[in-house]
Amino acid sequence: MEDARCVDDRGRWMTGVGGGRVGWRVGALLAPAFVGLGVFVLGPALVSAFIAGTDKTLTGPHFGWVGTANARTAFSDSDLGGAVRNTLVYCLITVIPAVAIGLALALAAERVAHGRALVRFALFLPVSANIVAMAVVFAYMFDSSPDGFANTVVGLFGVAPVDWLGDTSTALPVVALVGGWRLTSFVFIVYLAGLTAIPRSVYEAADVDGIRGFARLRHITLPLLAPTTVFLGVFVTILTLQTFETVAVLTKGGPLNSSTTIIYYIYEVGFTGSFRIGYASMIALLLLAVIVALGAGGALLGRRIRRAREAAA
Amino acid sequence: MSAGTNSDAPIGASRPPTPAGPPAPAGRRGPAAPSPTAARAARPRRRLPGAATLARLALLTVGIVVAVLPFVWMLRTAIGPSQTALALDSNPIPSRVQFHSFNQAWHAGDLGPALLTGIAVSLAILALQLATAVPAAYAFACLRFRGRTALFAVVLVTLLVPAQVTAVPNYVTISALGFADTRVGLVLPFMTHAGMIFMLRQYMSTIPASVLDAARMDGLGTWRTLRSIIVPLAAPAIASVSVFSFLLSYNEYLWPLLVARSPGIATPPLALARLMTDSSAIIPDFAELAAAALIISLPSLAVFVVAQRRLAAGITGTGAGA
Repeated sequence: MEDARCVDDRGRWMTGVGGGRVGWRVGALLAPAFVGLGVFVLGPALVSAFIAGTDKTLTGPHFGWVGTANARTAFSDSDLGGAVRNTLVYCLITVIPAVAIGLALALAAERVAHGRALVRFALFLPVSANIVAMAVVFAYMFDSSPDGFANTVVGLFGVAPVDWLGDTSTALPVVALVGGWRLTSFVFIVYLAGLTAIPRSVYEAADVDGIRGFARLRHITLPLLAPTTVFLGVFVTILTLQTFETVAVLTKGGPLNSSTTIIYYIYEVGFTGSFRIGYASMIALLLLAVIVALGAGGALLGRRIRRAREAAA
Repeated sequence: MSAGTNSDAPIGASRPPTPAGPPAPAGRRGPAAPSPTAARAARPRRRLPGAATLARLALLTVGIVVAVLPFVWMLRTAIGPSQTALALDSNPIPSRVQFHSFNQAWHAGDLGPALLTGIAVSLAILALQLATAVPAAYAFACLRFRGRTALFAVVLVTLLVPAQVTAVPNYVTISALGFADTRVGLVLPFMTHAGMIFMLRQYMSTIPASVLDAARMDGLGTWRTLRSIIVPLAAPAIASVSVFSFLLSYNEYLWPLLVARSPGIATPPLALARLMTDSSAIIPDFAELAAAALIISLPSLAVFVVAQRRLAAGITGTGAGA
């Protein structure tokens, strides 16, 4: 049987005989996955792209083609502008701290000699958390009452009670805190895996050469983690661009739309009020374009780093 | 950044770990090496490990406290007396310990059926996702075929499509199939996960070509290679993605919100959200809400506790396999 076409020991693709049968087998291996993706992701995405050019509502049976009218509406929609601004602020105050703190924690946890399992357990916990359950707990901790947890804590520093989720200036940061809390744990897991994947021999060789401490971190660990960092930066940004649950449970976009994210705005436009699913689809399509551009940029950057590494090796 | 890689990579490759004593003279390392200065700079650091270790421990302690605090606060509120916004209590130790909030939440939120639905739906999704993702990942990682790059790009693109984009068409599809407001309807749209295909493919790509060559020499075909070589070797990765898949499905909020109309098939997050909305009509009892939050968190916490070792094994396996 020559049909398992794999790379040989020099990294070249094996080209066995019986190509026709291989094609059939590849089809059988891929078909289940592509049926699922086609019916429930790609097909719906295309349908959405079509709906984006119409004035369809969720409830009305009749709708017509409006061309680019929805897109023009989107660019002059001040509520959408606010949602975009909120989402960018949210990304900024969650992604950067989450990646930085997650990396610092992973670096610190990797060298723990005793209680390693306990450290990992505690720091993995937020990822396993149910976001709705956590939103309930955070809503309670950030209650506006002077006796609430957060107000008691800031009270220790002499700060007057804050209406955390009811104030336009604090609602979004509190929502971001819940998201960032969970995201940091995810970043920690991925970095820890990346650190564990660095062969001990690299560190031992560095040690022999006297490269230790901060120099080792800067010249060896961080460069070796660069692909992980690129992946995390892009993936985590895309995740936060799609923030929905925390907003839906904690603030419902309020007060005065001060915590409405893009995805929550899409939900509001398409699934509540006048159910303008055509316009909602157009916003989603524009967001998708941004996300695809980000993803492609990340993939290119990752490839460039890999190339540089291969050239160096 | 790449300059550091350039000069450092050959060090690890060319010099196997030896218990050699003093650092090598600069001449042996080539002109580009930054290490003599680095060595001198790093030396004194070695003599005071206390400061660095203390900073590390402090960082870890703060991190752990922040990570665990909401869980502790949830437990503390659930076992304390009833609390409303009118009479909050932020004392770390509850004034009195009692458990009737759990009973109250269990009945008010109808949490028993919700837990069953949540677990059954998540397991069904996991089974379908593994059945679709493992063969696809194998094909992308180990087989050569026309359009491989393009098809894999399609998989990656689906990873980027937000759930809100597909929600409406999916709702129409599920309704047309007659699965609206059923558990099947909660499962079906998640039958394939592009992220799982991607992660498994990444792992399978690290399986040395020599292993696959040996399988081929032994006369193993496409299927046998998958079943008896790839799946056992990728077991740690499969375990890891399974844990992530279960946690994602169990915690899914938007889709059940749209599909599960009748209370009988509410998933746990939905049951909790409804309990919160229902009780906000009157003054909410935070002790009851915290108890409900704790109850619905238990299955994902249990999976997490059990899977911890598998997860750690998966992570270490990545290192050992490379």
